[in-house]
Amino acid sequence: MTRFFAWGTFLLGCLFFALPLIGMTEFSLKMRRGEYSFDAYRRVFEDQRFWDTFSYSLILAAATIVVGVLLVVPTAYWVRLKLPQARPVIEFITLLPLVIPAIVIVFGYIRLYNTSSFLPLTGSALGTDILLTMGYTTLALPYMYRSVDTGLRTIDVATLTEAAQSLGAGWITILSRIILPNVMVAVLSGAFLTLAIVLGEFTMAALLNRPAFGPFMQLLGANRAYEPPALAVIAFAITWGCMGLMQLVTRFSKHERAKA
Amino acid sequence: MSFLTLTHLEKSFGANRVVKDFNLSVEKGEFISLLGPSGCGKTTVLRMVAGFETPTAGGITIDGRDVTSLKANSRNIGMMFQAYALFPNMTVADNVAFGLRVKGVPRAERDARVAEMLALIGLSEMGGRFPFQLSGGQQQRVALARALAPRPSVLLLDEPLSALDAKVRVSLRNQIRQIQQDLGITTIFVTHDQEEAMSISDRIVVMNGGVADQVGAPFEIYNRPRTKFVANFVGTLNTFEVRVTDPATGRVALAGQDLTLPDAPLSARTGETLTVALRPEALRLGRLADAEALLPAKVTDVHFMGSVIRLRADVAGTDVSLDTFNRPDTPPPTVGSMIEVSLSGRDFIQLRA
Repeated sequence: MTRFFAWGTFLLGCLFFALPLIGMTEFSLKMRRGEYSFDAYRRVFEDQRFWDTFSYSLILAAATIVVGVLLVVPTAYWVRLKLPQARPVIEFITLLPLVIPAIVIVFGYIRLYNTSSFLPLTGSALGTDILLTMGYTTLALPYMYRSVDTGLRTIDVATLTEAAQSLGAGWITILSRIILPNVMVAVLSGAFLTLAIVLGEFTMAALLNRPAFGPFMQLLGANRAYEPPALAVIAFAITWGCMGLMQLVTRFSKHERAKA
Repeated sequence: MSFLTLTHLEKSFGANRVVKDFNLSVEKGEFISLLGPSGCGKTTVLRMVAGFETPTAGGITIDGRDVTSLKANSRNIGMMFQAYALFPNMTVADNVAFGLRVKGVPRAERDARVAEMLALIGLSEMGGRFPFQLSGGQQQRVALARALAPRPSVLLLDEPLSALDAKVRVSLRNQIRQIQQDLGITTIFVTHDQEEAMSISDRIVVMNGGVADQVGAPFEIYNRPRTKFVANFVGTLNTFEVRVTDPATGRVALAGQDLTLPDAPLSARTGETLTVALRPEALRLGRLADAEALLPAKVTDVHFMGSVIRLRADVAGTDVSLDTFNRPDTPPPTVGSMIEVSLSGRDFIQLRA
């Protein structure tokens, strides 16, 4: 009986998540009257704005990942090595972006970096892109930090550092040649999550008026019937693709270790 | 002047003084072991030499150069760790080459040195493997090659054998000693294993509570321990209460038998009771012609350990351990049987507190 209820709850959960997706996918295929087709997808892919916004968001995601790695890896490493007592504080700080709404952050940015401020970043496209990258880095911080911190937990950071130091290595060599390669799987996990966040983010890009993928999805949703669900399916596929890659990388790494 | 000197070295963590006024001079090519129980400060001393800890007071010189405030990566020191600490993302050859690469050694020279080091540790065929593909003993040998490759002035070994099984441990410690002697490299070895320290060291520093209780050759440390701590920590010890009969000649009485202690004159007065100690192998089973005294004893326990048999017996009201070699034609005494034990005053050790 218990087993029956367990399976029943599981199936109910699956239906709860799967039905809207199935419905949305089915609807996205019904653009042509009376038959299923990929017309809506074709329309989306034919729209130049899709490629422009998608490539723009990809570039910004890459920049966000680079900034995130440069910020988080040394920080998490240093906290593990020298400031273990500061871990709860750092963890709290990295969790703040989950609590503070993106709209608050972006208004703060606009207020601080507007054209009449000491650092008028919003005055140019490049400056705004930099600002947007920083915003994305903040949003991705909880995920990136946790991924890297989990990765660092799997290696003996202190001893590896001391071994490298005894061989004459400085901090940059230690970070780039020892620590980073050994937490690469964790960094990749964080990077894929960052990519998924950046691709779907709307608030910051819209309020900073940048041609990102999030605002494009919203714009399309407001004006079209079949293309928005097609775009949503595409966005889902990209996100799940990222997750799948994450799993693959992790499994590949485990497999490599298991060969021992 | 000594090659490595530690002068009035102190280290405190907050209010906790871990190392107190530690002094040591190490000659070039010498193998020194820091021996002591957990928390005695031996690893902290090693870490200060390596540059991983900054001394609270005192100084460290290597080859005449003051390195006290020098960073760890500028000291030209090789180190082996208990946990191997091989870089998991690099092959064995890359691990060995790491220090040379950091130093900017040209590729041809680097490759030659890596090959030389791998041959030295007998792992020439394993250069392309990753650390996780090696056994613990092999990993530690690679760690030794990696530490030696940049030709360090001092080699530091932080309990490198503790994680290995008994057989590998013995073979690797002999290999480490052999390589150390071949290369003539000054080495400091931290261990809590007395047998390990005694078998490979030129000198041993027995540490207790952050201070060096005694520094000496293994023979001296074992046979002439200066403090109760050293005597108890290194090997097994039997203690006896003896009555002083003539302090000037070192004569004492034990259970009605006269004995002459080696360190005369004695500091105690006539009639005073003195605590002296004796190693298990200095108590001999049976009647021996050269022994000063012969005492009856009752066997309370028998441990057959192969080549050696350790007996526990009641000698003059004192529970003692005594070791005797196994003889295939003579079975060991049984528990409860009476035996005779020979002993001599010259084997007794007088202990400072």
